[in-house]
Amino acid sequence: MNGTTTRDRLMLAVAVVMAAIYLFPLYWMYITALKSGSEVFATPPSFWPAAPQWSTYAFVWESRNMGRYLWNSLVIAVGSVALISVLGVGCAYVLARYRNAWVDVGLFLILMLQVLPASLMITPIFVGFSQLGVLEYPRLAVVIAIAAKSMPFFVVLVRATFMSVPQELEEAALVDGNSRIGAFFSIVLPLARNGILVSALLIFMQAFGEFVYSKSIIQAAELQPASVGLNSFMGPNTNEWNNIMAYATMYVTPILAIFVLLQRRIVSGLTSGALK
Amino acid sequence: MKSFFSSMRDGLGFDIALVAFALGFLLLMSGLPLVYNVVMSFQEVDMFSLGTFSRPFVGLRNYIDLFAQPETYPILLNTLIFVVGSIAGQFLIGFGLALFFWVNFPGASWLRGLFLVSWVMPGLVAGAIWNWILSGDFGVLNFILRETGLIDANIFWRSDPDYSLYAVILANIWLGTSFNMILLSVGLSGIPGDLYEAAELDGANAWQRFWTITLPMMRSTIGAIIALGLIFTLQQFDLFAAITSGGPNNASNVTQYWAWELSFRQYDFGKGATVSVVMIVFVMLAAVVYVRSTRHEVRG
Amino acid sequence: MTIQIELRGVNKHYGSFHALKDIDLSIAEGTFVALVGPSGCGKSTLLRSLAGLEKISTGDLKIAGQQMNGVPPRKRDVAMVFQSYALYPHMTVEENLTYSLRIRGVAKAQAKKAAADVAATTGLSHLLGRYPRELSGGQRQRVAMSRAIIRHPKAFLFDEPLSNLDAALRVHMRKEIRALHDRLHATSVYVTHDQIEAMTMADHVVVMRDGIIEQQGKPLDLYDMPVNKFVAGFIGSPAMNFIPATVGDDGKTLTLDLGTVRGTLAVSRTLQPGRKITVGIRPEHIGIAASGQGSFDVPVAVVESTGFTAFITAATTPELIVVETGRSAVRPGDMVGVRISPDQLHLFDDVTGVRV
Repeated sequence: MNGTTTRDRLMLAVAVVMAAIYLFPLYWMYITALKSGSEVFATPPSFWPAAPQWSTYAFVWESRNMGRYLWNSLVIAVGSVALISVLGVGCAYVLARYRNAWVDVGLFLILMLQVLPASLMITPIFVGFSQLGVLEYPRLAVVIAIAAKSMPFFVVLVRATFMSVPQELEEAALVDGNSRIGAFFSIVLPLARNGILVSALLIFMQAFGEFVYSKSIIQAAELQPASVGLNSFMGPNTNEWNNIMAYATMYVTPILAIFVLLQRRIVSGLTSGALK
Repeated sequence: MKSFFSSMRDGLGFDIALVAFALGFLLLMSGLPLVYNVVMSFQEVDMFSLGTFSRPFVGLRNYIDLFAQPETYPILLNTLIFVVGSIAGQFLIGFGLALFFWVNFPGASWLRGLFLVSWVMPGLVAGAIWNWILSGDFGVLNFILRETGLIDANIFWRSDPDYSLYAVILANIWLGTSFNMILLSVGLSGIPGDLYEAAELDGANAWQRFWTITLPMMRSTIGAIIALGLIFTLQQFDLFAAITSGGPNNASNVTQYWAWELSFRQYDFGKGATVSVVMIVFVMLAAVVYVRSTRHEVRG
Repeated sequence: MTIQIELRGVNKHYGSFHALKDIDLSIAEGTFVALVGPSGCGKSTLLRSLAGLEKISTGDLKIAGQQMNGVPPRKRDVAMVFQSYALYPHMTVEENLTYSLRIRGVAKAQAKKAAADVAATTGLSHLLGRYPRELSGGQRQRVAMSRAIIRHPKAFLFDEPLSNLDAALRVHMRKEIRALHDRLHATSVYVTHDQIEAMTMADHVVVMRDGIIEQQGKPLDLYDMPVNKFVAGFIGSPAMNFIPATVGDDGKTLTLDLGTVRGTLAVSRTLQPGRKITVGIRPEHIGIAASGQGSFDVPVAVVESTGFTAFITAATTPELIVVETGRSAVRPGDMVGVRISPDQLHLFDDVTGVRV
């Protein structure tokens, strides 16, 4: 008995050390953001800020107009999640309920479209959108492009969720007097809710950090999301690393907080779909 | 008409409508661009002909020009190195971590999940952090390497043509390792425990059990993960944009970044489309492998 | 007696698979009908067609005189108890019971009262606030039943409702379901693969195989007069012995071919001399006698005793199984005589398996 606890503690210690090494880049981001302009370039580098410069955050927020950038990221992410959910939930449901050659074809198509790299697809999408005039509404154009790119992933995850809801429950609801639509909303959807929310959250996080489409499609600075803002902040020969890291901190901390809070659910949702 | 509505409420019509909506959108926004991409690769498309549909067809000239350019083969080679290096690093480290966390101890699953933060971070932010870590004079990586005696002089990761590609690979390994680890953990936990008990009774030691039980049982999972790694690696764009921008002088350029550069830096959309088409063929091949191996998984 | 459920020439195709073949079945109001057969025989498809969960390809389906072919489940007014019970996991027992009432727009207070009434008769009153995951297997089964009862449907459909229970509970629930049926006088259709359930519970048993109704009738009629070899082998436990035989020259004797043993039996009617026939004898209809005292002698291979009965397997080809009540004195290796009464023989055509 004692042997296992000792072993457990040892394993835990090793695991913590490995996690610390792996997550060092994150630590470095948070620490650099708190350093003063001169401390950033100190040799040897300090691993703990001498005097934390909390004012950097306010300065960067103001000077880089971060509120606007984050708002645009939020608009794009919410728009993408909304579009993908509206289109994807029903599709995933049907693909989960049938097992035939047509479903296999549909799934294959969806999986194939999932793998196309955004940086390769942006060329035809950009040209097509410019011809159709969609580029007049650049954020909408980005939302549509992201939806086309991320919906397959969403459908695969949500389909796995729906498959875990036994079909008999739905049949019981039908025999109990409900219609297909009624059974879907009163039985299937409540039971699949968590899986759908987790999948939507993953899509949200992806869209919140999206870069290629936004960079290529949105020219006007006041409509660009935070990823593009960070890219233009970095420049080739920057020396404002404390400011950049403060920017990065404000950008990712909300995402990381959500992730750490809902970690267990997100990980299980992710793994249920990726290999099935 | 009545039967049509009742079919929408109760029957197949309802289901078909749901799928048709989503698939229609996908085909329009993903499938059609794919076809359009191929069409454009046979056309001359620049800033001036962008808005019109009647663009001169140039046959295979884009392709011929492409393979005549001196940078093409180095970039293709870079892509290969990037893919192989990234996948090997992500997979081996990920497998090692998955095996470690497989030993159940309190807190294992929570700590393991924590690794995934690298995967949920926006690629551009991860790129920015690595850009700073890899900085030549003041980067913390050079400091650590110097202190541990691994190097004598600073490596200019981002600006030295010998290292710039590996700088991006390093960042990409960090980004993707956690995802590999999580999927491999799922595969490992799917192996029935009594197989190991049976093997142990048959006299196999830990090493033999790994080679005769774990690896063969994980074959389809590993196939899926490597194919998935290939797909993700070929999608990696943000790290290049954030760390090296493909430089210096294309030393760290790869096809997926180059295609974008051709279109959006040099405004040669026809050439960009041509590179895309070449790459998409490779991605599709990887996708087929992935789909096949997941199929195998489902049918057990 | 009015006909509650009527099927005429019902067929069901899944692509090229023909699941139901020309099914004709009439179920009188208030009867308990069991559909029984091996897995894949079409019994579940038939039940699901009654519920409207499957659409029949051709034929007529009437419930309470109304044509139901294309009618969706919700308009058929039938209740179903599923094999997995299909209790809604996100609803309490009470919510599960009242779900169908709420859908129909029954007032809340009235629905609650109905749930309380049903729960009182099925012994669930103290569980109304619980969720399905907090119940035992037997309790879940009761909730599934109550959910059907509360609706006073035109018919109850049961899809192997006892197969997830342990043996003791299964025997208990068998009686409970039958008692419930007798109290409600409802029309019930009960699908099972267990012929004992069918025999003990039903008024009318329908034996199916490969999408065809092989035979239907009262349970004991099926036991006494199976129309073919399949039904004969399916009904009764342990299963009937089948032995190849040849009719003797006089047409009144049969020579049984048991491999090393040849036995001769007299039959009570005249058959065509030299005809090949399969003889069916139920194990419980064979008596054991001292060697030389029975119809013929067989060597004993195995004796399995449960205390109350003994199963004696003879070392013949095909094996001959005999059930003896009480403690058996027979030991493996003994030669014993078997006593077979001619009027308990079932004769089947050697080729078609049809009763002769």
